[in-house]
Amino acid sequence: MDSFKVFEIKKSVYENNDAQASLLRTKLKEDKVFLLNLMSSPGSGKTTTLVKTIEALKDEFSIGIIEADIDSDVDATTISKTGVKVIQLHTGGMCHLNADMTRQGLEEIETDGLDFVVLENVGNLICPAEFDTGAAKNAMILSVPEGDDKPLKYPGIFRAVDVLIINKIDAAEYFDFDLEAATQRAKKLNPNIKVFPISAKTGEGVEAWADWLREEIKIWNK
Amino acid sequence: MHELGILVEVVKTVEDFARKNNLEKIDTLVLQIGELSEIVPQYIKECYPAAVDGTMLDGTNLRVDILPGNGICQKCNKVFNIIEGKGKCTHCKSRKFEVISGHEFMIKEVIAC
Repeated sequence: MDSFKVFEIKKSVYENNDAQASLLRTKLKEDKVFLLNLMSSPGSGKTTTLVKTIEALKDEFSIGIIEADIDSDVDATTISKTGVKVIQLHTGGMCHLNADMTRQGLEEIETDGLDFVVLENVGNLICPAEFDTGAAKNAMILSVPEGDDKPLKYPGIFRAVDVLIINKIDAAEYFDFDLEAATQRAKKLNPNIKVFPISAKTGEGVEAWADWLREEIKIWNK
Repeated sequence: MHELGILVEVVKTVEDFARKNNLEKIDTLVLQIGELSEIVPQYIKECYPAAVDGTMLDGTNLRVDILPGNGICQKCNKVFNIIEGKGKCTHCKSRKFEVISGHEFMIKEVIAC
């Protein structure tokens, strides 16, 4: 007869991933690769924003893009037209990337010679916020049509990011979007958050975002 | 519905623990979920059979213990349940408090041999 006993584990569910993420971050620091984890809802203009960001920085840095989606390669195809190195990861239904999947993506893209890699996380405001990918910095995009109440509805992600990009500001007049209210709500959750209102379509505000990124990449890769 | 992805991580951690401690047979896994966490205990229970399919935990029982979402009031210094008080101290009605528990998502223990 088996005798069952209680074996105490007492481990946070996120502990394994957090440990892998910090190992990955240390390695990226040594290799002088700046990894940006970019998160948002589907349809917020992540890929268009990336294209503009690449255009602003590609003369100064060697850039790689890891696209993560549940399926398809439409984003990777769009990005590849900019001429930078791009790979597509399929999460196969998983709603977020963890540190291990990120590591695999980095191996696949071969970071040798790259200064700056963007991880385009799965379009979702909940799960990606809970898993540290090992990135140097985390950014999110909130687009005007989604509404200025999103920090109230999805506080987790606003607490987790370093940067909030508010995209599609050229469409503000068609939507009841209060830029000031959205900014204040985000800052209440995360006093250190940097906010960049942009329009990836017209290019407005992209320069300020690219300037911030340029400085951060230089500091990391020093 | 992010519970399935998270459970896959849990299963990996428990399998790792079981291997290191030479556990042969697991009967029950016990998780602790805080009332204020973004994890829904009901969904965790519903996803469990799918998450453990084909793993060492296949066929095991799952128990979820709920940890209270407590805060300490910065005005009257008493501990109260944040959900019960709907964000206000249940003693003095102040809205100024510090969260002391409720965001956890822990693997507590396994009952095994």
